[in-house]
Amino acid sequence: MADKHLKDWKNELNICIRCAYCFEGCPVFKIAGWETDSARGKIILAYGILTGNLKPSQYIADKIFQCTYCRDCSERCSAKVSVVDVLAAARADLVEAGFASDTHKGMAKNVEETGNIFGDKEIKAPVQKGEIPVYIGCQYLARPNQTKMYLKILEKLGVKPLVKDEICCGYPLHALGFRKEFAEHKKKFLELFPEKEIVALCPTCAAFIHEDYKKNVKHITQFILEHLPEKNLGLKATYHDPCDLSRVMNITEEPREILKKLGIELVEMPRNRKTSHCCGGGGGILMSDVKLSDEIGIVRIKQAIETGAPLLITPCPTCEQVLKKAAAVVSEKGDGTIQVKNLSDIVWKALKT
Amino acid sequence: MKIDLEKLKEIVGADNIKNDIADLYIYGSDASVHKGLASVVVRPTTIEQVQAILRYANAELIPVIARGSGSGMSGQVVPIDSGIVMDLKKMNRIIEIRPEDMLCKVEPGVVDDELNRALKPYGLFYPPAPASSRVATIGGEIANNASGIRSVKYGATRDSVLGMKVVLANGDLVNLGSNTRVEASGYQLDRLMVGSEGTLGVIVEATLLLKPLPKFRCLAKASFNELKDAGESISEIIATGAQPSMLELMDNIAITAVNTTLKMGLPDVEAIVMFEADGKVKEAVDAEMKLMKEICEKHNGFGIEMSYDVAERTKLYAGRKKLFAALSRYQMGLSCTSLADDMAVPYSKMAECASKIHEIAKRNNVVMTAYGHCGSGCMHTKILMDPTKKEQWEGAKRAVEEVYDYVRSVGGTTSAEHGIGLSKAPAWKKEKADSLKMLKAIKKALDPNNILNPHKMQDAPEDWVTATELRYPVE
Ligand SMILES: Cc1cc2nc3c(=O)[nH]c(=O)nc-3n(C[C@H](O)[C@H](O)[C@H](O)COP(=O)(O)OP(=O)(O)OC[C@H]3O[C@@H](n4cnc5c(N)ncnc54)[C@H](O)[C@@H]3O)c2cc1C
Ligand code: SF4
Ligand code: SF4
Repeated sequence: MADKHLKDWKNELNICIRCAYCFEGCPVFKIAGWETDSARGKIILAYGILTGNLKPSQYIADKIFQCTYCRDCSERCSAKVSVVDVLAAARADLVEAGFASDTHKGMAKNVEETGNIFGDKEIKAPVQKGEIPVYIGCQYLARPNQTKMYLKILEKLGVKPLVKDEICCGYPLHALGFRKEFAEHKKKFLELFPEKEIVALCPTCAAFIHEDYKKNVKHITQFILEHLPEKNLGLKATYHDPCDLSRVMNITEEPREILKKLGIELVEMPRNRKTSHCCGGGGGILMSDVKLSDEIGIVRIKQAIETGAPLLITPCPTCEQVLKKAAAVVSEKGDGTIQVKNLSDIVWKALKT
Repeated sequence: MKIDLEKLKEIVGADNIKNDIADLYIYGSDASVHKGLASVVVRPTTIEQVQAILRYANAELIPVIARGSGSGMSGQVVPIDSGIVMDLKKMNRIIEIRPEDMLCKVEPGVVDDELNRALKPYGLFYPPAPASSRVATIGGEIANNASGIRSVKYGATRDSVLGMKVVLANGDLVNLGSNTRVEASGYQLDRLMVGSEGTLGVIVEATLLLKPLPKFRCLAKASFNELKDAGESISEIIATGAQPSMLELMDNIAITAVNTTLKMGLPDVEAIVMFEADGKVKEAVDAEMKLMKEICEKHNGFGIEMSYDVAERTKLYAGRKKLFAALSRYQMGLSCTSLADDMAVPYSKMAECASKIHEIAKRNNVVMTAYGHCGSGCMHTKILMDPTKKEQWEGAKRAVEEVYDYVRSVGGTTSAEHGIGLSKAPAWKKEKADSLKMLKAIKKALDPNNILNPHKMQDAPEDWVTATELRYPVE
């Protein structure tokens, strides 16, 4: 059945009034420019599959997978259509119809075999006993120094983090359409984390554990803010809202409050908070469509450079990675410079002084 | 239909052509209920490319459908006979802004909001402001004669276009209109293009009249227990010569939709009227607001809230702004379809028109609301129905016909701003019965081979339900 998952979203698809309001901020549409690349285009493709007007094809799969899951479309949508949920269902149907890319299949296998998306057995959580369960997530685990820094920040703020021998949150399996694998993985995850309350470091893991596992998730920025003393770093910076943090978790003010508490002068990009522009790192395209991801990253970093701030701060490891790369490209071309830092670096610097 | 893709590639380059079935399916629809299938989508970037495409299409008798963002609600860009869809969104340069002449020149793919963002530093704006301004292109707005909430004061697109460059069906480029505010004599060919829905030529550049941004803006919201009172307020506001910059109506269904789906907490009344004044001098704005408030009160308007503050105004307007979202989620299983979606009636008939819409909806077992930019005579509705049920389409068809029969009976018109396309064509043809020959003659003179967006407006099929396939799967 080409529409096994999509048919649950029939009503949502009928609700889309095809107004095109989702053209306005879609980072993929802005780069590619064809309606096929917009959220409305993808919704129409999903509808075509559901109604049997279109047969699943590699071309359709490519288009449905060319999405960063940034949810800018749903934010602007006149009918509040859950575009990402529809696309996730379409992806699941396409994967079951045999249209998963080798890169994505490899990633799913990695999660199954090693518990992390990289398939790296060496990537291990720094297990420690504590009071508050902290979920680190694959991206931070692959950056042990940053993980350590966050854990040290928590300790310095008087919190004892409990770190388990964790596995991937399962979001990539779900987002990339590997539903069967996800169902198995979900069981394992919930056995490992029976707790109702979790602190998560990565915005995407936080959003997924909150939305899909219905847990009471605090993002590390909320936690830090509650415990952070005032400091004066005397820096000037712009802040990049990770899509999952702003549009899914509604966390836009806490990171800004942290920066304020640290004496950082914040210069906003015109697209901030809920209308923030995606970095280009989400939805799987970082793995399967590096060129597109890079191009989106460059658009965002240019917006940051235009603020005149010498520094961009973000709490997301993926945004940080993509935007650092974009900053290097832009700087090499002589189109301006900006430093990109993870929020942990800034907070740690402040706490050390 | 045989289309020489190689020829088209020569003209626009391989990167600017799409013909996968998936692309054609997407480009076969807009915000209407219709769906069709083009043969190919091309994306020109220069006037010369538009000319070359049209020369080729005209020689080979291939239909060409100019397309902006495809936000039209009446099926204007839905292909009936397949053909070439010409996506003009890549021609999106703002060519020049001339504050000293209060005009700008733009390519057709410029999005309205983007133009207004560019104009803001000059203290200027381009007034038509349809609700869809965040996506609507200038070409699409001109071809539809779009208007919006501020048209009551600043007019529709037709009042804001000074001139344009148009590529005709045979590929010839013509300059219409001028750079001046007035152009007295001769057939106003630039104005003929406004509202022509891509059937007479492809607009490739437009010269637009700009207005200074007002310094003060005050918005108010008044509640009414009787729709009739709200209608009479609107009519009197206009008749006394007050100068609102916005005059909007929301009926009880619209209010209920906003309250139940978005928990907006609007007063549960029969109607809400929103009125706004703007200008350079605060005392003048105060005077307009006072006059409109008094008129509303005279007609039993109550609970009037008013503010100059941007945040307060946003709050006051939020219910109206989010109405479409609310209607889309009015009731599980119902979809919000763009049918009988706009019309214009004389001011004195506003309230009656709204009541008629309610009666007609009830009789035909669909849900219909009444709201709109009533200050400019414009009334909107939407038909909320289960689009998968055949009998709902039968009801919708009757409802559309009855609405427009009423509109004609009071001297109103089929479209205030959303165009004719396919779904409003049968009603429009009845309205224009005595000028149909003229309309067809004009089309024939400018597009003898009938390649430009054929089978639309006066040439559209008699039954909009079967004009194309419906985009919903009807059981
Ligand atoms: C939610 C919503 C709200 C809306 N609100 C309003 C409103 O308040 N007021 C209003 O007036 N409309 C409104 N509309 C309707 C629509 O957005 C407007 O008519 C708009 O002007 C269409 O612009 P577009 O770029 O999407 O044009 P399209 O839909 O792509 O095209 C519309 C017509 O213009 C023709 N066309 C496009 N470009 C050219 C060109 N360069 N040369 C010749 N012909 C061309 C097409 O062939 C077609 O006939 C609304 C639509 C939606 C979905
Ligand atoms: S989630 Fe983001 S990238 Fe995907 S369609 Fe929506 S706006 Fe575009
Ligand atoms: S904004 Fe929402 S309703 Fe409009 S076309 Fe996009 S998904 Fe559909």
